[in-house]
Amino acid sequence: MQEFKLPDLGEGMHEAEIARWLVKPGDTIKLDQPMVEVETDKALVEIPSPVSGRISDIRVLAGQVAKVGEVLVVFETPDDRSSTNDSGSFKSVTTNPATQTASASSSSISTAEASPPPKKRVLAAPAVRKLAFELGVDLEQVTASNPNGRVSIEDVQAYADRKQTPVPSAPPAEASMAGASPRHAYDAQPAPLEERQPLTGLRKRIAEHMEHAWRTIPHATSFDEVDGSALIALRQALQSVAEQRGIHLTYMPLLVKLLLPLLKEFPIFNASLDEERREIIYKRSYHIGLATAAPEGLLVPVLRDADRLNLLSIASELERLFAGARKRTLLPRELSGSTFTLNNVGSFGGGSGTPIINHPEVAILAIGRLQEKAIVHQGQIIARPMMPLALSFDHRLIDGAMAGAFLARFKALVENPQQIMLDMR
Amino acid sequence: MVVGDVTTAVDVLVLGAGPAGYVAAIRAAQLGKHVTLIDSRPPGGTCLHQGCIPLKALLSASERFQKMHQEELAAMGIQAKAVSFDWAKMQVWKQSVVDRLADGVRRLVAGNRVEYVYGTGWFMNNQEARVEGEHGSHRFKFEHCIIAVGADAAPIPQLPYDGKHVLTSEQALMLPELPETLNVVGDDYIALELATLFARLDVKVKLFSPGEQILADVDPAALRLVQAGLRKLGVQVVTKATIENVTARPVVISQGVYPHTAGLHLDAAGIEVAPNGGIAVDTMQQSSVSHIYAVGDCTGERPLASVAIKQAKVAAEVLAGQRVQFAPLVTPLVVHTTPELATVGYSAAEATHAGYNVIQGRFPLAANGRALTLGTDTGLALIVANADDGILLGATLVGPRAGDLIGQAALAIEMGATLTDLDEILYAHPSLSEALQEGVESALGRAIHIVAK
Repeated sequence: MQEFKLPDLGEGMHEAEIARWLVKPGDTIKLDQPMVEVETDKALVEIPSPVSGRISDIRVLAGQVAKVGEVLVVFETPDDRSSTNDSGSFKSVTTNPATQTASASSSSISTAEASPPPKKRVLAAPAVRKLAFELGVDLEQVTASNPNGRVSIEDVQAYADRKQTPVPSAPPAEASMAGASPRHAYDAQPAPLEERQPLTGLRKRIAEHMEHAWRTIPHATSFDEVDGSALIALRQALQSVAEQRGIHLTYMPLLVKLLLPLLKEFPIFNASLDEERREIIYKRSYHIGLATAAPEGLLVPVLRDADRLNLLSIASELERLFAGARKRTLLPRELSGSTFTLNNVGSFGGGSGTPIINHPEVAILAIGRLQEKAIVHQGQIIARPMMPLALSFDHRLIDGAMAGAFLARFKALVENPQQIMLDMR
Repeated sequence: MVVGDVTTAVDVLVLGAGPAGYVAAIRAAQLGKHVTLIDSRPPGGTCLHQGCIPLKALLSASERFQKMHQEELAAMGIQAKAVSFDWAKMQVWKQSVVDRLADGVRRLVAGNRVEYVYGTGWFMNNQEARVEGEHGSHRFKFEHCIIAVGADAAPIPQLPYDGKHVLTSEQALMLPELPETLNVVGDDYIALELATLFARLDVKVKLFSPGEQILADVDPAALRLVQAGLRKLGVQVVTKATIENVTARPVVISQGVYPHTAGLHLDAAGIEVAPNGGIAVDTMQQSSVSHIYAVGDCTGERPLASVAIKQAKVAAEVLAGQRVQFAPLVTPLVVHTTPELATVGYSAAEATHAGYNVIQGRFPLAANGRALTLGTDTGLALIVANADDGILLGATLVGPRAGDLIGQAALAIEMGATLTDLDEILYAHPSLSEALQEGVESALGRAIHIVAK
């Protein structure tokens, strides 16, 4: 028997939720065959099998949270099988020493007999144990909400509710029994008026993150509109050259490039607040978070050290990050540590919106859809491609006047991108 | 067919009216069932009529007598002259206690509208039982049946009990006259309590223990105090004794019990019996026939009334449709010796064996104010906890009222209390329960009233 423990996935992750098992007990598995998908705070990580053998037991089921070092799965490797069966007809089978050494290579693998962890009992009061039995809940499987590991009545109830995740209702019986006696209409179960689903995985983390940001930060939002003509012209001018270098240039890299001088000019926008020590932390690195719609929900991949990248590198890096976000293959470090977040609402088809700050950052800029609008220019009504801006800021650190100045400066840069030349080294 | 054989249909038929049977009957009745309770004797069973209650009554009386000629009394300024006792009157008093309790149980059974039938029952099939009783033979057709017929003293093949020379523990309590010497064979709490009882009444007692030590599993430090107590009473303890070698008479034998299932015709109902002779049940007390339950000593489990009573409630609730089980973490055990001993949960050795990382606490009663005001300094509190998280795993108490104090430790273990939990709460002062607290503090390395080594 060999155990596989949840390895350290980096970036200070202490636990991960098992998203999906790709194998089940009894399955035969090959070395490096994808075995399980685990979801950390930021990413979906696929873990391959460290051995060839048979899955003997899955200890942490899908939907449950495992701590780093917790046993996820137990394997039966070829050398085990021959030894456990040695009393029977397999007696003549000899173990192969080659497989034995090969299977003991991975660091997170340990033989079950090696050193049993010190025993601990599931902490649950008699009334909790009684309820668990009544509801058919195995207390060993219940994750305690209490930090000291004490399982409560509520934990057991929640676990039992989760086990009974509503099954998608079958198509109504009438459909397949068209023409049958109308009596069936009365017999049919009324469709439930609501359906409950547990908040899990990425959705749960988004919810927690938003809740925290919204509760902690006094949000205020400043709006403006910017004339996108120059931006369109700039993209058109650069696009063909970029194509030649194999890069499809969108507006996003341009906007990032135009944003960076502002963050240096207004350092408070690239800061955060140490809430305990009541200190403002000004950051000297410029990691730009880019809100992205992934199939499972919002993800914010991070363009690290954006100020050190040229436009083409920004474009190619963004392309890679967005693709990774859609496929959920990004590493935890590619999904954390941003210092300012840009939210391209327009790319989701949105006009505009009030963005929620990506805590612990202090501001977030939402850029709406570029569309032609009638505006008044020197007394004339003309059509211009306008782009709405919404800047949410932490009012503890930033006042409206500062936000206004920031937006005005951004607007000036977007409308006159050549200004960037003035400060370029 | 018996002429005029009438079948009575009942929801629940309970066979045996000891602490398991009458409790099961009352709980089932509380849950709205129509219950018939069968026993050839008045309700109360072995525990009330022949076992626990008579023994504890006599232990209490004998303790009072024995204290009368302790030296401590003189030190307190009390002179008791010409104290004597009358065994026959002691028996009458014991019986009055039993009768009073039995009357209470009878009222409870009647008050819960449980039908009581004097008789002996056995299975005809898995839905019917026949009861041979005072009013002839009755047939009962039941929805559910709870078997609670108890157990008898385990028979010793070469030594039949005759009630005079070779006695069961129950017979010993009913001896018409006290013998000059008494031999007790056994190493369980009953053997120790019998030895204590008779030694207090100036009978010369010899205790023959089949094993190397009496009360296996009890912490050696606690056991030493109990052994010293027996010695002080003049009990001579012989270990590694075999029954064959005990030729002196009268001899009382306490070698466990055997489920009283003979005559039930369990096979007629298809009920499986475990190798130990008990009725095999699951944690919901269901036998191999799911609507037939077994509770208490007849399951072959540890013969303790506390276990039987809980199992009885579980069975009654399960048959009423509830999903409950018998699953206490720990079983408190009390031995009414001098000093009294009570344990719950793991001893240090057992906890280590089970894989825990053990820390221990120890506090002597000699440093407990209340113990000294009670005139004793013999006793201690031993605490066993898991070092990693401080969860209490076991406690052993020796000294006055240990059996009553152990409940607090049992609650703490069941609740998953930590040493810190136990240390944070207040204990009345001066009280014996402070010994438990100081034992806990000693495990934490900070007991006040003993100097740390």
